[in-house]
Amino acid sequence: MRPLCPGRPPHCRRALLAAVAGVACGLPAVAATPGETIVAAARKVVKVHGAGGVRGLEGYQTGVLVSPAGHVVTVMSTVLDADEIDCVLDDGRRFRARLQGVDPRRELALLTIDGDDLPAFALEEAEPLGVGSRVFALSNLFGVAVGDERVSAQLGVVAAVVPLAARRGAYEAPFRGEVYVLDCTTNNPGSPGGAVIAGDGRLVGVLGKELRAAESGVWLNYALPAAEVWRSYRELLSGTAAPPPPADAAAAVFDPAALGVVLVPDLLDKTPPFVESTLPGSAAARAGLGPDDLLVAVNGRAVSSRAAVRQALALVPEGDAVRITVVRRGAIVDCDLGPRPAGGGR
Amino acid sequence: MRAAAVRTIVLVAAVGAAAPGATADAFAGADAFTLEERAFQAAAARVAGAVVRIEPAAASTAAVGAAAEAAPAAGASTGTVVAPGAVITTEFAVPRDVTQAIVVLPGGGRRAAPVVGRDASRGLVLLGLDAEAAAGLVVPEPAPRADLAVGQWTLALGRTWDASTPSVAVGMLSATSRAWGRAVQTDASISPANYGGPLVDVRGRVIGILAPVPADTAGMTSGTELYDSGIGFAVPLEDVLRVLPALREGRTLVPGILGVGYASRDPFTAPATVATCRTGSPAARAGLRTGDTIVAADGRPVSRIAEVRNVLAPKYAGDTVELVVERRGAAGPTRVPLEATLAATLPPWRRPMIGIVPARVAAAGSAGGVEVDWVWPDGPAARAGLVRGDLVTAVADEGGEPQPVDSPTLLAGFIGGLEAGRTATLVVRRDGAERTVAVDVAPLPALVPAGVANPPAASGPPTVERLEAAEVARPPLAVLPGGKAGPPLGVLVYFGPPPGPGDGAAARQAAEPWLDAAARHGVAVVLPTAADPQRWGRDDVAAVARGLDALRARRPVDPRRVAVAGRGPGGACAWLVAEALGPAVGGAALLDAALPRQATVEPTEPGRSLWVLFGGSLTGAPAKAAADRALLGDRGYQVGLLPDVLGDAPPAEELCRWVESLGVL
Repeated sequence: MRPLCPGRPPHCRRALLAAVAGVACGLPAVAATPGETIVAAARKVVKVHGAGGVRGLEGYQTGVLVSPAGHVVTVMSTVLDADEIDCVLDDGRRFRARLQGVDPRRELALLTIDGDDLPAFALEEAEPLGVGSRVFALSNLFGVAVGDERVSAQLGVVAAVVPLAARRGAYEAPFRGEVYVLDCTTNNPGSPGGAVIAGDGRLVGVLGKELRAAESGVWLNYALPAAEVWRSYRELLSGTAAPPPPADAAAAVFDPAALGVVLVPDLLDKTPPFVESTLPGSAAARAGLGPDDLLVAVNGRAVSSRAAVRQALALVPEGDAVRITVVRRGAIVDCDLGPRPAGGGR
Repeated sequence: MRAAAVRTIVLVAAVGAAAPGATADAFAGADAFTLEERAFQAAAARVAGAVVRIEPAAASTAAVGAAAEAAPAAGASTGTVVAPGAVITTEFAVPRDVTQAIVVLPGGGRRAAPVVGRDASRGLVLLGLDAEAAAGLVVPEPAPRADLAVGQWTLALGRTWDASTPSVAVGMLSATSRAWGRAVQTDASISPANYGGPLVDVRGRVIGILAPVPADTAGMTSGTELYDSGIGFAVPLEDVLRVLPALREGRTLVPGILGVGYASRDPFTAPATVATCRTGSPAARAGLRTGDTIVAADGRPVSRIAEVRNVLAPKYAGDTVELVVERRGAAGPTRVPLEATLAATLPPWRRPMIGIVPARVAAAGSAGGVEVDWVWPDGPAARAGLVRGDLVTAVADEGGEPQPVDSPTLLAGFIGGLEAGRTATLVVRRDGAERTVAVDVAPLPALVPAGVANPPAASGPPTVERLEAAEVARPPLAVLPGGKAGPPLGVLVYFGPPPGPGDGAAARQAAEPWLDAAARHGVAVVLPTAADPQRWGRDDVAAVARGLDALRARRPVDPRRVAVAGRGPGGACAWLVAEALGPAVGGAALLDAALPRQATVEPTEPGRSLWVLFGGSLTGAPAKAAADRALLGDRGYQVGLLPDVLGDAPPAEELCRWVESLGVL
C-alpha cells in the first residue's frame, strides 16, 4: 500500500523545518517561481524531428537531455525511422542526432548529439513520487514549438501510480511496470518523450507514447518514472538493454480448463467469465464451482472477461494456491482450488 | 486577483485544519506551490476512507452491446460512501439491467452489494453494504452548496486505477449549476477513472459525486463523450442526500414530466408558449391550455423555454412545480397561477387528425390562416363539408375560446393536443364570409389515400443536381421539380442499394425512376451517395443532414413534409437519419428492411412522432420487421403498409404521394 502523502520522504520535511529555524540545508533559501523553474528546465528539453507524414503519423516528438555530452532520451517510435533525425534546443540550436540504441521493453531510445556542456537533467535512481504530487509536463505537443521557441508547459498532479495496462489499437504495450498517471492532457501528438518535472525542477518522469487504457479504452496521460528512465539509460549506454519481450510473454495466459473450469464460449472480447461447467474430478469440481457462477476475481485480482481470467491465472506462480472468487445467486463465494499446476499456457 | 487571494487564505486555513499537528509555522517557509500541493494531499487523505472501488458482479447485456462501439467501456469503477452503509456509484458502472455490484473495501475485502435504489435523472445508483463492511468506511463531510464559489480548488478522487490508493485529479470549480441544474462543473480531469468518486474541496469536504451527466448538447447521449475534456460534472452531495431516504426505500427516481410541447423548437430564444398540452398530462390536470405562455416557474420569472427547463429538469416524478401562465382572452391577457405534480411517463401519443391537408408553406406565420389544399377522402373535415380553398383562421377545443392560427405548424400543435373522439371547432373563411364548423377528431389512418390533389404544377422539367456541402466528399444527388418559383417542396431521402464504385452516370441512372413522381407531387428526392461504395454507413447519415441544409438554401422546403425511406440495408440508414434529424422528419418508410439493432424507439410525443410505412417485395422482408411493426405501434407510432413492390424500381409514385399526405392535420 502506497502512503497518500509521500510527496517528500520524511527527512525532507525535517529539513524544511530546519530551514524555517534558520539552519542551512540542501534546499534553496529562496524558491524559484514556477515560471523560473519551467524556463530553466525547458532548456534541457529538445524537439525531435524525424520521419513522418505517412498515414497521418507525426514526424516530431520530444526528448530530454540527460548528459552535458549530448545524450538525449526519447521514446522509440516511427519518428526515429529516418536517416536524418534532428534535435532542436530551446535556443534554436539544431543538432543532427544519431540513434545510439533502443530499449524495446520500455519503448525508449537514446540519441546522441555532438555538443558539449549542454544543459542537461541529472538522471538518478530517484524516489518515486506519491499521488497528488504536483508536476509540470514540458513537451513539443502538436509540434507547435518551432525554432527557438520553448516547448509547451502543462500543470498537473500525479493522479495515480499504477502498472501500465495499455494498448495501441490491438497491440498491447510491452511495458508492465508502474507509471505515473497524470491529470493533465499529455496524450498529444508530439508530446511523447517530454519531460515531467517537480516543482523544484527535478526530472521525475518522461511522457510515454500515445496509448489507451486496456480496460476502459480511454486515452492515457502518463509518464515513465525517472528511476525507470535512469535504468533504461544505463542499459542503453552499456548496450545491455533487454531484448523485446517475446510476444507470448507479454500476454502470458493460463487456461482455466487446466483447473477444471470451463467458461462460457468467448463471443466477444468482453464476454463475462461465467462458468459453463466443471470437469469431473477436477480441482474446480472439488471446490464446488458450478454452472452460472460468475468469476469476479482470481487471487484478489479483479477479472471482468474471459481474457482477464486467463491472464490473472498466468500471474499466479506455479505451485501457489489459486483462489477464485465468484458471484453465486447474489453472494460472493471464495473457492480454493489448490496449487496452480504447471502448463495451461497457450 | 481577489479570487486568488481568497483562495490562498482558504488554503492556509485548510492546511491547518486538515493536517493535525502541523502548525502554521511549519508552512511558513514553503512557497505557495508546495503549500497547495500539501493541501491537496491532506484533503485527499481526509476523504480517502469514503472512496471505494466498484467491480462488476454481473454481466450487462446493454454494456456488452455498447462495448462494440467506440464509447469508453466500464470495468472497475468507483463509489463514494454518503451515509453509513450507503455507497453511491454511477449507472456507467452499474447499468440499468444489473442488480448488484462488488464493493472492494479499502482493506481489500470484496463484498457483494445489491442495488438498493436508482436516480435515473442523475445517473446515480445506491449500493447497500452490511453493517460489518460499512464499519471500516468513512462518512465524509458534505461541502455546503451555498459555500461553493467558482474558482475554488476542487479535487476529483477515484479508486478505479488503484484499489489501495485513491487517484487524484486537481482543478477548479467552473460553475455551480450545469446540465439543467443537476450538476456542478469542474475543470479537473473527469473520466471513467473517477466516475462515482467524490469531488472534494481543499478542506476534504465532499462537494458532489462525479458522474457523466449528459449536458444535453446535440450528439451527446451518454455524457462520457466529455471525459478528460476539462468539462466535468458532479451531482451535488446535498442533492444526493436529499433523495437518499427515497433511494433507501428501494425506489427508482425518474425525471418528472410536465407534458407540454412548445410552439418553438429553439429553447434559447423563444418564449415558453405551449403548443400542445397532452390530455391526461400533469399540465392538463393543472389547467394549462394550448396557447398559454409560461412566465414564472417556482417563483422565478421565465422568458424562454430554456429557463422553464432549468426549473423542471432537476425535478423528479412526484415533485410539484408552481407555474404562472399568461393567457390570451377577449379582455386581454390574464395571469393564471397553476400547480402541477410531475409524472414519470405519459401514455404514447397517437397522432390525431381532422382531415385537412394545408397548402404548402415554407415558414410559420403567413396568410392570416391555414389554407386547405385538399381534404382527406371520407375524413372528418370532408364529412363536415370543408373543401379545397377554405381558410381556417381560428381553432378551439370543445367549448373553448377560439385561438387564431396563422400557420400549419401552429394548427398542428393544437390538433396534436386533442384526442381522437373529441370535437374541434374551426373558424373557416370561405368567399369572404366566416363561419364556425365542428369537426370530429379521428385517429390518423395508416394508409395513403389513392387520390390526392397535386400542388400547383411545376413550371419546368425536373432537374438532377448535386447538393454540394463543405467537407462532404460525395454529396447526395437530388431530383428537383422544375421551376424555382414553385410551391415549397416536400422532401424524400431515399437510400437504395449502395451505388457501388461507379461514377456519376450510375448515380444519375438511380435518379431516373423518380423524375415523374417528383415533378407530379412537388417532392425533392434526395439520393445519398455512400462514402464506402459497398455499404451504407454512419458517415452517410451526416452527409444527408448537410445535404438537406444545402437543399433548404437552394429551394423553399415545407417543414411538415420531410420523409426518409430505404430499401434493404438502406432501410437501417434511413431510420438513423430519422433519429438524427428528430422532429425535422415526419415519416420513415422501410422496404425489405427492419429497424437497425441499435435503434432507439422512444415513445412518441407531440411534435416527435413518425409515420412509419413497411413494405417491399413479397420475399425480401426480414422476419424482424413484423416484430418492429408491433413495437412501433405500442410506442405510439403510426404504422402502415405499402403495397408490394415488384422488381428493383423504387415505388416512387406511392412514396411521393405519401410525402404529400404527411402534411395532413
